[in-house]
Amino acid sequence: MQVQKQLEKQVDAAGINGCPTCAFEIVGDSYMEGEVVTCEGCSAELEVVGLKPLRFAEAPEVEEDWGE
Amino acid sequence: MKKIDLIYTRLRTEERMILDALRKRECDVELHQDSDLVLPLDAERWSGGNVVLMRSMSLTRSRYLAAILEVKGARVVNSSRAITTCGDKILTNLALAAHGVAMPWSFAGFEEEACVAEIERRGYPVVTKPAVGSWGRMVARIEGRSAAEGLMQMRFETGSAQDHVGLVQQYIDKPGYDLRVYVMGRTVGGIRRRSEHWVTNTARGAVPERYEVPESHAKLAERAAAAVGADIAAVDLLETREGEILVNEVNHCVEFARSIESTRLPLPELIAEYIAGVHP
Repeated sequence: MQVQKQLEKQVDAAGINGCPTCAFEIVGDSYMEGEVVTCEGCSAELEVVGLKPLRFAEAPEVEEDWGE
Repeated sequence: MKKIDLIYTRLRTEERMILDALRKRECDVELHQDSDLVLPLDAERWSGGNVVLMRSMSLTRSRYLAAILEVKGARVVNSSRAITTCGDKILTNLALAAHGVAMPWSFAGFEEEACVAEIERRGYPVVTKPAVGSWGRMVARIEGRSAAEGLMQMRFETGSAQDHVGLVQQYIDKPGYDLRVYVMGRTVGGIRRRSEHWVTNTARGAVPERYEVPESHAKLAERAAAAVGADIAAVDLLETREGEILVNEVNHCVEFARSIESTRLPLPELIAEYIAGVHP
């Protein structure tokens, strides 16, 4: 299950060190997996899905029961 | 070193700031993404630390995880009871009512025509909102019978059986803002949320500004947090044109990213301080 999930994550992440939406290069070494960052290029919300190399995917859509 | 487990859905600005604040306090923080957790439903002790900070964005995940971890001996902040109560506006209103906390009148109904009849009896405008929902989504002001019929029909003909409950609340004619008081055992500060729109969620564009919380507001907010059993809470207050203060909602997973810059309230530090204090 874990292996399958990791494979899915790799397929999802279009960009390596870059925004999957606009290809803006994102650098830094203090990111954590699962962290949500905003792309400075296109303001898209991105989730860190891998660290070595740094990979991003579009953050998932809001779910019905999310939020305070 | 104090060991803290932090459970999250997404490591947003809030979680990142709380994590940094905890580590500054020399806490050993272990991060757990809720999607990765698979926990046996038994009373075996949780292999993590004694204190769990629940920051899952999902109501479903957070209330189950908190309930499971409590049985396994963890002290979860907020507790499963607080999450369950705060996550459901009907249960919140009931908890507030049981403790005599001032709030707008509200009622729950389970059939379209009965709800419309009760709205007609009480008069317009009123507000309807989903019993379970967030960020001001699907909150509507009802101005007259046609809107009441339409909205109640939508409420009862869409969604699943658990959505088929009409929650109707007194409309409070706010003076252009509402108030939010942060409670961590005691009141630690507050914000005023100003908006042209009658819905004053910062997620819906309301502008946060600082306000010094008067003693009377602080006491009311602390009573509301205690009523729902929350350690850490953001209590939303409504002020009537006559100056009466009413509790509108109590939030159990406090979000602050949109307000921290303008209000300068050190909420991540305060949360970390509280969590470190909970540790035995």
